[in-house]
Amino acid sequence: MMPIEIGTVLYAGAIGLVVIGIAGIVLSHHLFRIILALVIAEAGANLLLVLSGFRWDAIAPIITGGAAAPTMVDPVPQAMVLTSIVIGVGVQALALSLMLRAYGAYKTLDIRELQRRMSADLAGEAGTPLPQSLEEPVGGRPLPAAGGDGR
Amino acid sequence: MNTIVLTVVLPLLAAFIVPVLSRVSPLLGRLLGPLTLAYAILLTLQVWLGMEGKPFSIALGGFQPPLGINFYVDRLSLLFTFLTLVTSLLLWPWRNETEPRQYALTLLLAASACGLALSGDLFNIYVFYELISVASFGLAAATRSGAAFAASLRYLILSGLGSVLVLCGIAIVYLQTGTLNLAQLSQLAPETLNTPLGLSAFALILLGIGVKGELFPVNSWVPEVYAAASGRVSGLLAGLVSKLAVLVIVRLLVLLFQQESALHLMLILGLLGAITGELAAWRAKDMNRMLAFSSIGQLGVIFIAFSIPGETGLFAGLALSLHHLLVKPALFLLAERWWGSLAGLRGAGLASPVAGGLFVLLALSLVGMPPLPGFWAKFLLFTGLAAQSAVIYQVAIGVVLLSIVIEANYLFRVVMDLFQPAEDDRATVVDGHGWLNLGTTFLLSALLIAGMLLMGPLGAWLEGVAMQAADPVLYFDTVFSVSAIH
Repeated sequence: MMPIEIGTVLYAGAIGLVVIGIAGIVLSHHLFRIILALVIAEAGANLLLVLSGFRWDAIAPIITGGAAAPTMVDPVPQAMVLTSIVIGVGVQALALSLMLRAYGAYKTLDIRELQRRMSADLAGEAGTPLPQSLEEPVGGRPLPAAGGDGR
Repeated sequence: MNTIVLTVVLPLLAAFIVPVLSRVSPLLGRLLGPLTLAYAILLTLQVWLGMEGKPFSIALGGFQPPLGINFYVDRLSLLFTFLTLVTSLLLWPWRNETEPRQYALTLLLAASACGLALSGDLFNIYVFYELISVASFGLAAATRSGAAFAASLRYLILSGLGSVLVLCGIAIVYLQTGTLNLAQLSQLAPETLNTPLGLSAFALILLGIGVKGELFPVNSWVPEVYAAASGRVSGLLAGLVSKLAVLVIVRLLVLLFQQESALHLMLILGLLGAITGELAAWRAKDMNRMLAFSSIGQLGVIFIAFSIPGETGLFAGLALSLHHLLVKPALFLLAERWWGSLAGLRGAGLASPVAGGLFVLLALSLVGMPPLPGFWAKFLLFTGLAAQSAVIYQVAIGVVLLSIVIEANYLFRVVMDLFQPAEDDRATVVDGHGWLNLGTTFLLSALLIAGMLLMGPLGAWLEGVAMQAADPVLYFDTVFSVSAIH
C-alpha cells in the first residue's frame, strides 16, 4: 500500500513540475524567468524518466563479487537521464548567452518588448509596415465626428 | 557496409577540428568541411551500391540490439543521409571566410542529421535531435544582429519546450514497453501502445519534434528566424531540418503507433498548418516572411500526405518532401538578394532575367503546374486522399485545393510584380544576384528539370523506397536476424 502511494506522489510531482514549467514559459514575461521555467520543466521530464525504470524493492544496479542481486533497478533510464541532464545544461547555458546578446542589442528582458522591437527592426530593414498587433485594432472607429470622444 | 557510420563520425570530428585548424591554416580550415562532406557523399553512394536494395542493421560497438544501440540502414534512411550531405554541401557558407564557427555548426548539423536518419533507437534519436537543435540555434544567430539573437532565443525556448514534451513521450513509451529499440518496440507496440496512453505519447512526441517540422501550433519561430537569418541558413532549416523531423515522425508512425487516431491527429494538425500558413503567406508584405509562411503551409501538406495510411501515404509524402527540399532552398537563395518588401521588387525580374526566370519556374513547380515535379507529387497526394473513405480525408482534399489556390494567388502576384517595369521614383535597389547564389539556384532548378524528365523511373524507384519503409516486419527481421553479419 505504502509504496504505491509514494509512487503516485512522485508521478504527480513529476507531471506537476512539467505543468509548472510549461505554465511558467507561457505566462512569464521576464526572459530569465522563462529560462528558469524551462529548467523546471526539464527537471520534471527527467524525474518522469527516472521513475519509469524505478523499483522500490530493488537495489542499485552494480554487480559486486560475481553474483547479481535478484532484483535491481533498471539502469537504462538512469543513463538516459544523465544524458538528458547534460544536454539540458548545455542548452540552458546557450539560452543564457543568447539572452545576454539580446539584452545587449535591445536593453530589455521583457519578452513582449523584445519581440516588439525585433519585429520593428525586421520590418524596418525590409521596408514594410509594422505587423499589426492583435491587441490594437487598426483604423479609427466609425463614430460620429461630433461628441465622438466622449463615448 | 559499416562505413556508413563514418557519415556521422567524420563530419562530427571535422566540426571540432575546423575552429582549431582555421587558426593554423585558414585555407585548410576552409577546405576541410567541403572535403569531408564530399567524402561522406562518396561513402554513402558506395554503401548504396553495395546494399543492393536490402536493408541491414549495424550494432554499434558490437553490442547486439536490443541492449546495444543500432543503426538501421534501408533505402529511406540512406536516401535522407545522402540528401543531408548534398544539401549541406550545396548550402555551405562559402562566403564566411572569417567565421570558422559557421563551418563547424554546419558540419555539426550535417553529422547529427545523418545520425537522426540512421538511428534505430528512440533515445538516440532524441540525442541527435538535440544536437540538430543546438547547431540550428547557432546558425540562426550567425548574422549576429540583434533581431537574429532575439529570434533564435525565442526559437530556443520553443524548441526547449518541445524537447521536454519529447522526453515525456519517451518516458511513457519506456514505461509501457521497457525498451527503446525501435525494432523491438515495433513488435511490442500492437499490444502495449495501442491505448489512449500510447496515443498521448505519440501526441507529445509529435508536438515536440513538430517544432522543427513547422507543425501547426508550435511554429511561431518560423517567420522570425527566417527573416533574421541568411538565405542559406533558412534554406537548410526549411529544406533539410524540417524534413528530418518529418522522417522521425513517419518512422515512429510506421513502427510504433499504428492506430487510426494517431493518423487523424496528425492530419488535423497538418490541415490547420496548411490553411494558416498559406493565409499568412498571402498577407505577408516581404519576401522572406512570405516564403517562411508558405513553407509552414507546404509542411502542413506534407503532414497531410503522411497521415494517409499505408504505403500510398508514404509515397506521396516522400515525393512532396523531396520536391519541397529541392524548391524551398532555391527560393530562399533567390530571396537573399530580393530581400525586403514585395512592393520594392517591381521590375527586379527585368533587371536580372535569369533570376526572374528561375523564380517563375520554381513558383510554377511549387504550385503544382504540370508537367513539373510538383504536379506529380500533388497528384499522388490527391489520389491517395481520394482512396480513403473517412470523411476527414475528403475534407482534406478541399483544404489542400484551397491552399493551392491561395498559394498560386500570392506567388503569381509576386511574379507579376517582378516583370512589371519599375516606376520612375522607385529606382530598383536590386543589383543582380551573386554568382554563387545564382549558381546554386540554377543547379537546384536543373535537378528539378531532370526530375521532370526522368519522372517515370524516379517514381517507380521512390515507390520502392516507400514500400520498403512501410514494412515493420522487415524492420524487425533485419535488426534481429541479420545483425549478425556485423
